[in-house]
Amino acid sequence: MGEAPFLPGDGIAIGDDGRPRLTGSECADCGARVYPAVAVCHACMSENLRPLALSPVGTLYSWSVVHVAPKGWTTPYIAAYVDLPEGVRVFTHVVGTYAACLAIDMKMRLCTAVLGTGEDGKPMASYAFTPD
Amino acid sequence: MREVSVVGVGMVPFGKYRDKTLADIAWPAVKHAIQDAGVQKKDIEVAYCGTALGGMMSGQRILKSVGITGLPIVNVENACSSSSSAFRQAWIGVASGIYDVALVIGVEKLTKFGGGTLPLEKEDFEVTHGLVMPALYGMRAQRYMHDFGLAPDTLAKVAVKARAHGALNEDAQFRKPVTVEEVMAARAVAEPFTLLHCCPSGDGAAAAVICPTEMAARFTSKAPIRVLASEVNSGRYMTGFRDMTTPEITVRGAHEAYEIAGVGPEDLDVLEVHDAFTIAEILYYEALGLCARGDAARLIEDGDTSLGGRIPVNPSGGLLAKGHPIGATGVAQIVEVVRQLRGECRNRQVEGAKVALTHCTGGGISGFDHGACSIHIFAR
Repeated sequence: MGEAPFLPGDGIAIGDDGRPRLTGSECADCGARVYPAVAVCHACMSENLRPLALSPVGTLYSWSVVHVAPKGWTTPYIAAYVDLPEGVRVFTHVVGTYAACLAIDMKMRLCTAVLGTGEDGKPMASYAFTPD
Repeated sequence: MREVSVVGVGMVPFGKYRDKTLADIAWPAVKHAIQDAGVQKKDIEVAYCGTALGGMMSGQRILKSVGITGLPIVNVENACSSSSSAFRQAWIGVASGIYDVALVIGVEKLTKFGGGTLPLEKEDFEVTHGLVMPALYGMRAQRYMHDFGLAPDTLAKVAVKARAHGALNEDAQFRKPVTVEEVMAARAVAEPFTLLHCCPSGDGAAAAVICPTEMAARFTSKAPIRVLASEVNSGRYMTGFRDMTTPEITVRGAHEAYEIAGVGPEDLDVLEVHDAFTIAEILYYEALGLCARGDAARLIEDGDTSLGGRIPVNPSGGLLAKGHPIGATGVAQIVEVVRQLRGECRNRQVEGAKVALTHCTGGGISGFDHGACSIHIFAR
């Protein structure tokens, strides 16, 4: 699965420890933070943005097990929002667990996963979260 | 600004019209609205057509069928709020005195996409990562159930109510009542939703004719249905944490609409709200001020929002039963409340209804509760 390309715009970097990290943007002028990374600050329109390394651990805001999805996604999958300590909410898939094991506000850790098959027939990989 | 009234409405039953073009789906609704209003084709000075996925020049394609051409025709896209937004544009035109008679159309043909979930904008980050509308509402539902203790069978009762109302509406896509057990046992779509918690995909069209209230009697002897408030908002973009159990765009829009209309939720007799999924209706009871935060379940359990209850919501069957051809929904809601306020709804009539609200919201894009929301308040 290490060969599968990540979805465009993910901002995934693999650290020296072999673990993934997400990178968003922080406005150098007003401090607004956002994921995924952007070219202009939505708060003050500054283009003076710097990369923001996001914490790999967050809390589960909510989730839904998706059984009906567009072609390509491996169903069922768990769609979720995870809140990161930087004040950023990330839409994500939850992997490596069952829905029955999930609870709102539980700690989640960043990982990577193959989530489906792209239009080119190749595996579609991206970041995901799993219970910490 | 002049006071504006709806003088004519029409719609076609929502359903699946795979073999019809968008224009062939829509022209009967337009013809009905014009005949209902008593206006002549030449009286119509402007037309606004709301559709999300109908494609280029939808309004022109429809109106050439019935020979209403040469006038300004403007096509309006605002996702599920497309035709309610189009209605507001028409209202601005008439209220400001630029036009006297305006036609509004809402139309959609979703069967052209096959089945499944609504196709969303592929440039959106969350969409590219697998967000679908049932999942977005499903996450709202899970969080609301956690925060406020909403029971799964209460949520299912929203669908039961919708289907019971839809059974009385000949324009509804679904006319068969369902039970709580049937809702809970249907196949899973996006938990906690089964198929019966979700509005269907389909096709349909609705139309309305508006003019200044003072001019209405020239065209029709029917009671003009006055527009007390016409409001459209976009969502506020938020990158951080937001409370998904309260739709900020609806709370804000309702506040504005009540202020403009000079009425409050306690003055409403009937509402048509955007129940795309069962949880949506629960959230909107609170957002529109029908009850306090966390109290919406009681309205369903006590039958307050059922026909015959204290404040009926979605007597048409709503999106869940009447159907949701997305661009058609806003005007279709207006068709229903105009008929309710005129007393034309027979076995689903809300007795003595004098003030009504329509609420249409839409658009699943990253960082917004909703991309757009349109609220209208009407009175007879």
